Amino acid sequence: MRSVRIAMAGMLLLVMASATTFGHHSAAAQDFNKRVEVEGVIKFWEIANPHGRVVLRVTDQKGTRDIEFETHSRNNVYRAGYRDGMVKAGDKVKISIAPNRDGSDGGYVTGFVTAKGEKVGMGN
Amino acid sequence: MFQKAMTCTRVALAIAVFSTAALAQGNRPDFSGVWTTYRAPGAPQGRGGGGGAAAQPALPYTPLAQRKIDEYQALVRPTGETPGGYCLGTGMPGSMLGSGGYPMEIIQRPDQITIIYEAHSEIRRVYFGSRVIPVADRLPERNGYSVGRWEGNTLVVETAQLNEIVSQRFAHSDQARIVERYTLSEENGQKVLTAEMTMTDPAFYKTPVSETKKWSMVPNGFLMTYECNEPIWQKRIEELKKAAAPAAK
Repeated sequence: MRSVRIAMAGMLLLVMASATTFGHHSAAAQDFNKRVEVEGVIKFWEIANPHGRVVLRVTDQKGTRDIEFETHSRNNVYRAGYRDGMVKAGDKVKISIAPNRDGSDGGYVTGFVTAKGEKVGMGN
Repeated sequence: MFQKAMTCTRVALAIAVFSTAALAQGNRPDFSGVWTTYRAPGAPQGRGGGGGAAAQPALPYTPLAQRKIDEYQALVRPTGETPGGYCLGTGMPGSMLGSGGYPMEIIQRPDQITIIYEAHSEIRRVYFGSRVIPVADRLPERNGYSVGRWEGNTLVVETAQLNEIVSQRFAHSDQARIVERYTLSEENGQKVLTAEMTMTDPAFYKTPVSETKKWSMVPNGFLMTYECNEPIWQKRIEELKKAAAPAAK
């Protein structure tokens, strides 16, 4: 677990370091000084380079809807401890995101906790 | 006394000659290994790498450079798109200044040093001596063509034949020339590689611009393959399957 935590810290650093550089979009749209946790059911989960894409079915005060999030690169998510098969469609997951600056749904995933309690990217 | 002094002088001379000969025979500092962005012990967790969002001092762009950068930004700002999103590497000097915070690997041999940046699997080859080809035969590209030489224990790399790039902080024209100076040191128990970069490009800069990047060795480290195009190809295969489906019925 210690090594995973170290890897998580490394991933967060990498996110901080490189989120503005690599991706389909620059990270200017997200506020990396903020963290928001979102719980949902996985509708789509793709960890890829240059960036991954995650769609969760989320239910909150605004109602139930599918929200799309962007993740860091496959390399960095793997370096943070993620492995293929860790999650699948239909699983519950809690993600930590840098939210969109304009307040709209979505954001940039900086870590997550699976239904089994496996943590990737988050500090604790 | 005179004989003793002469003996000492001869010994010192012999050591100097031996050292020079050793260097000439390729007994150079070994930069081989995996390196990651240097962070001093206890330093706050901040932005590292070459693409951080922290405020950076303005660069002395020429009007031509400023116009080209502004035109580029006007195109991509609305969607926030980047070259990386299209699996395109940063190119020099962004690659050597941190490569987005990803690690790099150096493979060193006397006639060639190969540098692999994990992000986008960018590769640079630094050639020495007889491996250097004539300028007319060099293929311009985003990381240019690099020629190395040793000044004592300092590796000096000169890079030219670059494509014009306006999508990175150190934008440059195809006339840019970049000089890097690499030195090894030991800091806080870490093996540290310091890379000093100076770029001269009268078309884009009123004066030469410089930046320093420090790397620390990752003992027994490794790079991951940065495969970026496979998802695009898989999506294309799915499209082809859908297009072929009606015909198969």
